[in-house]
Amino acid sequence: MALRHRLKYLWLNLAHKRQAEEDLAREIDSYRELLEEENLRAGDPPDEARRNALLELGGAAQIQEEVRDARTGAGLDALGAELRQSLRGLRRNPSLALLGILMLGLGIGAGTVVFSIFHAALVEAMPFHDPARLVELWETRRDAGFDHASFTEANFWDLRSQTRAFEEVATYHYDESNLTGAGQPEKVSSSLVSTNFFRTLGVAPVLGRDFVSDDDRPGVANRPIVLGYRYWQRRFGGDRAVLGRTLRLDDRACVVVGVLPPGEPWINDQIYVPFGHRPNADRGSFEFAVVGRMAPGVSAGAARADLARVAALLEQAYPKEDKSIGFHFEPASTWIASASTRRALVVLLSAVGFLMLIACINLANLLLARGTARRREIAVRVALGAGRARLIRFVMMEALLLSLCGAGLGLALAYGSLRTIRSLEFLGIPRLEHAGLNPWVLGFAALIALATGILSGLLPALRAPVTAISPVLRDSDRQAAGRGQGRLRSALVASEVALSFLLLVGAGLLIRSFGQLLTVNRGFQTENRLMFTVNLPGPYFEKGMSKYFVDRLSERLQSSPQVIAVGAVNQRPVEGGDPGMGIDAPTERRAPPWAGWRVVSPGYFQAVGLALIRGRLFDENDKPVWPEPGQPKPVRRVIISQRLANLIFPNLDPVGRHVLLWKSQSGGDAEVIGVVADSRERGLAAGPALTVYLPYGRNAVPSEFVVHTRGNPMALARTVRSMVSEIDPQLPVSDVRTFEEVVNRSVAPQRFDAILLGIFSGLALLLAMTGIYGVLSYSMGRRTAEIGLRVALGANRASILWMAVTQGMRPALAGAAAGAIGAWWLSRYFQTLLFEVKPVDGVTYAVVAVLLLATALAACAVPGRRAMRIDPAVALRTE
Amino acid sequence: MPTSLLQGTLDVLILKVLALEPLHGLGISRRIAQVTAGTFEVKPGSLFPALHRMEEAGWLAAAWGETESGRRAKFYRLTRVGRRQLQAETEQWTRIAAAMAQALESS
Repeated sequence: MALRHRLKYLWLNLAHKRQAEEDLAREIDSYRELLEEENLRAGDPPDEARRNALLELGGAAQIQEEVRDARTGAGLDALGAELRQSLRGLRRNPSLALLGILMLGLGIGAGTVVFSIFHAALVEAMPFHDPARLVELWETRRDAGFDHASFTEANFWDLRSQTRAFEEVATYHYDESNLTGAGQPEKVSSSLVSTNFFRTLGVAPVLGRDFVSDDDRPGVANRPIVLGYRYWQRRFGGDRAVLGRTLRLDDRACVVVGVLPPGEPWINDQIYVPFGHRPNADRGSFEFAVVGRMAPGVSAGAARADLARVAALLEQAYPKEDKSIGFHFEPASTWIASASTRRALVVLLSAVGFLMLIACINLANLLLARGTARRREIAVRVALGAGRARLIRFVMMEALLLSLCGAGLGLALAYGSLRTIRSLEFLGIPRLEHAGLNPWVLGFAALIALATGILSGLLPALRAPVTAISPVLRDSDRQAAGRGQGRLRSALVASEVALSFLLLVGAGLLIRSFGQLLTVNRGFQTENRLMFTVNLPGPYFEKGMSKYFVDRLSERLQSSPQVIAVGAVNQRPVEGGDPGMGIDAPTERRAPPWAGWRVVSPGYFQAVGLALIRGRLFDENDKPVWPEPGQPKPVRRVIISQRLANLIFPNLDPVGRHVLLWKSQSGGDAEVIGVVADSRERGLAAGPALTVYLPYGRNAVPSEFVVHTRGNPMALARTVRSMVSEIDPQLPVSDVRTFEEVVNRSVAPQRFDAILLGIFSGLALLLAMTGIYGVLSYSMGRRTAEIGLRVALGANRASILWMAVTQGMRPALAGAAAGAIGAWWLSRYFQTLLFEVKPVDGVTYAVVAVLLLATALAACAVPGRRAMRIDPAVALRTE
Repeated sequence: MPTSLLQGTLDVLILKVLALEPLHGLGISRRIAQVTAGTFEVKPGSLFPALHRMEEAGWLAAAWGETESGRRAKFYRLTRVGRRQLQAETEQWTRIAAAMAQALESS
């Protein structure tokens, strides 16, 4: 009932507004006439009767205004009117509008970009059913001190059969094979997975079927395989007829039985081969990634207890191999973004928040200044009956309008930059290709547009001068706006400077840290080095063909005039995997140091530029540490890195001494023949690795090549391809890159962070500069008469300039001080992102302070000079 | 002694005076002054917004008509909803008045 009425009047008031207004005017007029009549009847003379009637009525316009406010839909109606007014106001002042839109647009755009990356990486759900129950598992060895080892094959099968807390436990083993029988030979990722792997993750194929428990039988003729969605799209163009097709992986026939849905991680651009239980499964080599799905209702604690129980059983059954075994698991949420990626994204998001805050403060400052300039207009509005609420809405509307336009600009900017950023796949940000303007991101942009609008409009709206109408209208005193306003704006500028200081310190620290990262002693040399991979298929490993291939290719390359040195290794530095072993002197009883092992050809050390420190390098007489079937046990010789040498043989010459390889596992004695410089094998940030180098041979063939070239390494790429195809046209050459590029890619995330934060802080600096400039020139403009008087009374120009600059610098100095304290306080959150730089880095703070204050000084210069040149005669006349 | 109107007082007073007969704006204002013995003096600035608000709420209906002296004026009358509202508000006011009186006497 009431609602029907409301709607009716809403319609009447909005659609037939003029009629309603005229009716009201007539009604008020009739009221006045009745009053006049009453007064006449009481005996007033006509003139007085009319005057008294008018007096009692009060302002007709004001009454109309109040009725308007009381009406249904008054808000909407007023909104429309204010919108029109605001638009008109902004059109009249296009420079303010442009500046405001630009500032907010940059802020909102930057915020949207970072949020969409953040959302894709950290918020978006994984494509798995009930991911809360998914975990990844690792083996641990308490005595050897490692807690994140992949599983050994045998331990995986044992855990799988023994556990009660997990509904499913599945394994994944990364592998590569040569795909033939479908056009160009190609090296593909062909991971081995237990047949329950997809069931464990909770993904069902979009095409065909999942593996069944039968698929893993050894020696099945046509091995069933499943394709990842991306691979299916890329290689087969999404052809549904791919089901049942036979492909050859390393010359074994395989039949495609299914295609997975798109998604990350685990399922993506590759082929999956079923991996079955083998009775002779190895218990010494840690190679298998393991995922588990907890049974419904099982708590993390219960799962941990169950794993401890299984570990105890295993230790009992295999006291040698599984000595001090344990298991460790982490929730699936860590699969997408590691803790450090998470931290970096959170830092970027807060940085962009600061930037937006600065933009808001700046706009608030502009609007405040304009509010002062428009005091007359506002005073007239007040006189005409605009209420305080109405005025606040009016100023607010302007800010909201600006932020709305800013959001439009920001979204356009975000769209463009996201396209660019997405194309930089090597940034190492998880699920970057998902980052885009999806509904969540658009919602976020709308939300921050609203928030920035309100934030920047709030102060100016509350400060809108509603009182003291008459002095304003008289336009006599320019001081009426008073010191209060000036102080408020100075405070705003100070907070802007403080926030900029925070951002600059953050950017400075990241940039310095990045510089340290690039200049750190790597051990290896990257200049003029080419890297490439030749994936040798299974049959090559029979009868020493693969060693023959490596030797021939090396010889040929070596004979090329562009080549200085050639070497091969089983895992390329920085980018490759890191197989490891416990290694120590045979007599030591402690937990052995854990070192990465690399199989290298004799030329490797020269090719990669690792210096020999003691002893000698490998030659052709050094044989692999693994015995060949039917051959006598080899004389084992190894080369170790310097830090490892110091760790095992402190203060002794390690050359000629013996070590135990794979200590506390399969074991094996070897002689140390040389010591080489430490190398940052696991990336620049990871610190010098402990490494043991093993000689290559017929049963240990490395297939990652490193070539030291004269001149541009990429110029050799064609030669490499033709040389390989001369030896065997079926062999694919892949991952051809300069070593420099490999290293650059590995630090891409740090570079991205540094660049982004650098851009943000640059914008912040710019905004702070306009803020300082705006406030000072406003205040100097207000003090023109005063300065003119000072000059007339004999103040010299320098002292005027000094006065202006000190006034402008005061908020900058206060802001810088506050910013330094804030940065110091926030620095603890920064620690993990930095490489060999302390979060409270004196150099960075000093540089930032100097930069910020110099910028502030520059911003003061223009209004200062203007003040200095004030002509007293002109200045006094304008008053 | 004209007192500023308590929030909500004006509505119930308007409903009360209109319960007897339809009145125009000035009539309402004068009648309120009369029935409250001059305690409340309603200014047009408060009267008109209240009238329009109540009309839109459906308590009052308005129509143009003629006064005794033949002038055109807008007359307001109570609707059925308005009558119910008056009843409800009267009961509430009585309760409040009684409670207030008791509270003030007892101390």
